[in-house]
Amino acid sequence: MRYETVIGLEVHCELATNSKIFCSCSAHSYGAEPNTHVCPACSGMPGMLPVVNKRVVDFGMKAGLMLNCHINRTTTFDKKSYYYPDLPAAYQTTQWFAPVAVNGLVEIETSKGKKGVRIKQIHMEEDAGKLVHDIREDTTHVDFNRTSVPLIEIVSQPDLSSAEEVEAYLERLKNLLRFAKVAECEMAHGTMRCDVNLSVRPEGSDKLGVRTEMKNMNSIEAIKRAIEYETARHIDALENNTEVLVQETRRWDDIKGKSYAMRTKETAGDYRYFPDPNVMPVVIDDEWFDSIKASLPEFPEVKLARYTDELGLSEYDAEQITKSIALCECFEGAYSVTGSAKDAANWMISEVMSILNSRQMTYDMLTVDGKALGELIKLVSEGKVGRANGKKILSAMFDDATLSPAAYAEANGYIVSNDTGLIEKTVKAAIDADPKAVADYKAGKEKAIMAIFGKCMKELRGNCDPKVLKDMLIDLINKA
Amino acid sequence: MKLYNAKVECAAPAVVLDDMILTKDLPTTAGSRMLSGYMSLFDAEVISRLAKAGYAVRGKAAVGEFGVDLMGESSVSGAIYKDGALVSAAHEIVLSGEVKAAICLDVNGSVRRASAQSGLVSVKPTYGTVSRFGTIPAACSGECVSVVAASAAECREVLSVINGHDDKDGTSLSEQTCRSALEAGKAPTRVAIIGDFLDGISADVKEKLDLAAASFERSGAVVETISAPELSAARAAWNILMSAETCNNVSRYDGVKFGYRSESFMGLDELYTKSRSEAFGALLKSVIIYGSETLSTENYMKVYDKALRVRRVIVEKLSKIFESYDLVLTPATSEMKYTKEAIEACPDMAFTENLYTAPASISGFPAVVAGGVMLMGGTFSEGKLLTAAELIEGEGR
Amino acid sequence: MDRELLRRLEMLNQLSLTEEEKVSVIGFFERRGADSEVLSGIETSEVERMVHVLPVMTVVREDVVSHPFSRDELQRGAPETDEGYWCVPRVIE
Repeated sequence: MRYETVIGLEVHCELATNSKIFCSCSAHSYGAEPNTHVCPACSGMPGMLPVVNKRVVDFGMKAGLMLNCHINRTTTFDKKSYYYPDLPAAYQTTQWFAPVAVNGLVEIETSKGKKGVRIKQIHMEEDAGKLVHDIREDTTHVDFNRTSVPLIEIVSQPDLSSAEEVEAYLERLKNLLRFAKVAECEMAHGTMRCDVNLSVRPEGSDKLGVRTEMKNMNSIEAIKRAIEYETARHIDALENNTEVLVQETRRWDDIKGKSYAMRTKETAGDYRYFPDPNVMPVVIDDEWFDSIKASLPEFPEVKLARYTDELGLSEYDAEQITKSIALCECFEGAYSVTGSAKDAANWMISEVMSILNSRQMTYDMLTVDGKALGELIKLVSEGKVGRANGKKILSAMFDDATLSPAAYAEANGYIVSNDTGLIEKTVKAAIDADPKAVADYKAGKEKAIMAIFGKCMKELRGNCDPKVLKDMLIDLINKA
Repeated sequence: MKLYNAKVECAAPAVVLDDMILTKDLPTTAGSRMLSGYMSLFDAEVISRLAKAGYAVRGKAAVGEFGVDLMGESSVSGAIYKDGALVSAAHEIVLSGEVKAAICLDVNGSVRRASAQSGLVSVKPTYGTVSRFGTIPAACSGECVSVVAASAAECREVLSVINGHDDKDGTSLSEQTCRSALEAGKAPTRVAIIGDFLDGISADVKEKLDLAAASFERSGAVVETISAPELSAARAAWNILMSAETCNNVSRYDGVKFGYRSESFMGLDELYTKSRSEAFGALLKSVIIYGSETLSTENYMKVYDKALRVRRVIVEKLSKIFESYDLVLTPATSEMKYTKEAIEACPDMAFTENLYTAPASISGFPAVVAGGVMLMGGTFSEGKLLTAAELIEGEGR
Repeated sequence: MDRELLRRLEMLNQLSLTEEEKVSVIGFFERRGADSEVLSGIETSEVERMVHVLPVMTVVREDVVSHPFSRDELQRGAPETDEGYWCVPRVIE
């Protein structure tokens, strides 16, 4: 019998706000000293009252709109109760009855073509703290820095059927949420985490099989391996009666490449949700809704089409740039100054992205101002700065986002000299110093003059039009 | 007899705070072993407001555990009896003349019951007009910071200091709305007595009601007895909401972050269970267990959600009544004193005796106790209720 | 309310009751039985639930960071800390 896998995902994304969802502590806990971004409210002490961070609602709405959801114009917060050391108040404030966004649709593309994945809902909630188990053998250490950092949880319908689709879906979510600048979605940083609900059924059946859930998956590779393992385990159980499948939560051990049933308590599961009396319903009026709608970015595929159809970029260049909103913004800024989309794209692909790669930065970490990049491109294309020096200036712009390329070029002596006397003097000295290369060139080895050319360029600190230099070099060698 | 959980020497005018109100410089215990010696990192908003107006804090008065009991009998420091009758620490301190007023969190009516029995005046303001920032949370959807004093005038004076908008409380109303609640208005012309509340009260409570009614009539008001059976359901609904919210709010006390931790335990579950079981009293444990059951998946719709709907029925009924009457006159208690024997026979008497206090607790409507009885009015009418209280305040002594 | 339900509710709420307390909890539930009867006597099928007694209002704050309390202050009353962490007996995940 042939089987199909049915997968639904619950994806948690940390929202890129400054402060936490209900208190004013910093929401940037990654890498901070333990318990330094904590206050009485987010460490469970009595007496402080939750006041909702407006930007969390802004971002919840944006995420909803990016994922084609319906926005609930009255959205409410509820309490979910359970005891665990990472939850200081023993309840999590989340959205159970009226989440910010419902009924969305995300389009993904895999080797099998395009497919829509339905979004059940997106809700806003607070994150839990972090437990550290490796400081002392008998003790778990508790860090509340991450407690109350705002999250959205994106709950899909069980519309996914393979590891490949899951990967495409997660990449798509990441791309859309980053475009809207609401979340970093970096699994390695824990700013995107994923629960995988999986079941297996005979192909064509409309009845769902027994579902297992794997919680807190934090790399796409691990998710893919876990899906393959679980699918095989379910099929094996169905085909060969190797075990009885039960609805349960399982832990994926990526090192062993196996999933394990998690120890469950008899009473676990009754979270006793109820509306939080301390948080008033958030009513999103037309003005608020419209301002969020107006602030949404162009969707990546809309940009891509515009870049190829209107600006004449190659499919490849447009695809590369639309991988990140930061790249798009830099490109568009540069284009607005140079007026040449090709030049701007060329610099983005061959210079900007290569520096990002060599510095091991993600595309979203780009801080170079697009307009400044445009000015730099103009300096180079107008022959005022040599290309090699242009690259040096760009590198400096990575270090200082406020840097003016023209002023920097001036200050560092990168302005191309039109002093032909100086060039001639330099070339003559170089020819005299390397009679062998001259002889080789004259004997037909055209490449031989490149060594002299390089020396001259170095002597002139790059501030010379390469064509002028080369013409003069050939001219003087022929005369010599 | 221990009235104060903490006390300092200070200049007049001074207030005493009940031990549900967090203070930076004095411990705040909520009447529980769980918070024995607990020091808050911040003061409640009401304290900042009182300090600005020149009031000093005399000390912290003992309270029943998390304020859910009858009148302090569940406090870890023990019930206080005077002449065989249960008394409230905060009220005794006001009676002693050491302070001008007591500031107390009214969770389940204990503040109003004690005011009625001690002959003091107290005001539970409209929900949302006094900040709850810095109060120990129990039943957040209805609990209110209240003022107890010897007279309506003093209540008004202190209430006007603590009333007002606070950005730190997400349920705090606008400054203008808060201030409107203080308007003194005119003496009442139409007063309703809830007939449904007259069964089951003692002769001396009935006498207080009659005296109050006679005072209103003497001042020219019409007093009518009406039937409003819905209001009797406020108690049932409030018991559910209060228990569930309190259960949730006290779940944070687990021996990990602060407060009581059991001396010996094996593993995390035992740390939680022993700390909580050793530190919480019997009544609170009943409330926790009951509250959690009202929220279970099985019960939520038929119990908790039902109580939320009944809350609206009560609010609508009260609003309807206040279209025709300036205020409602009701008992605050069924008797003028609670004996030790009666309390020991029924340790959860607070959950039946709150018949009278629950309508204002669950609806957020204001209530004033004076002359041994309670006056309820529409939202933002506490100023007017205090004006009415001046007509009857002498009757309670 | 029966003993089995009580046992589960104790676990759910991290409580371990003495026999005396169990009796009082069971008594508490019995007395609340009257509450349920009163509620079921009220027709609410057409009534919206009321979580907040306040008028509808949106309360939000600006996304601004502040840090009024130090870790030392926050952990002053902690039963057990180590290297800036709160501590619990080892949890097996």
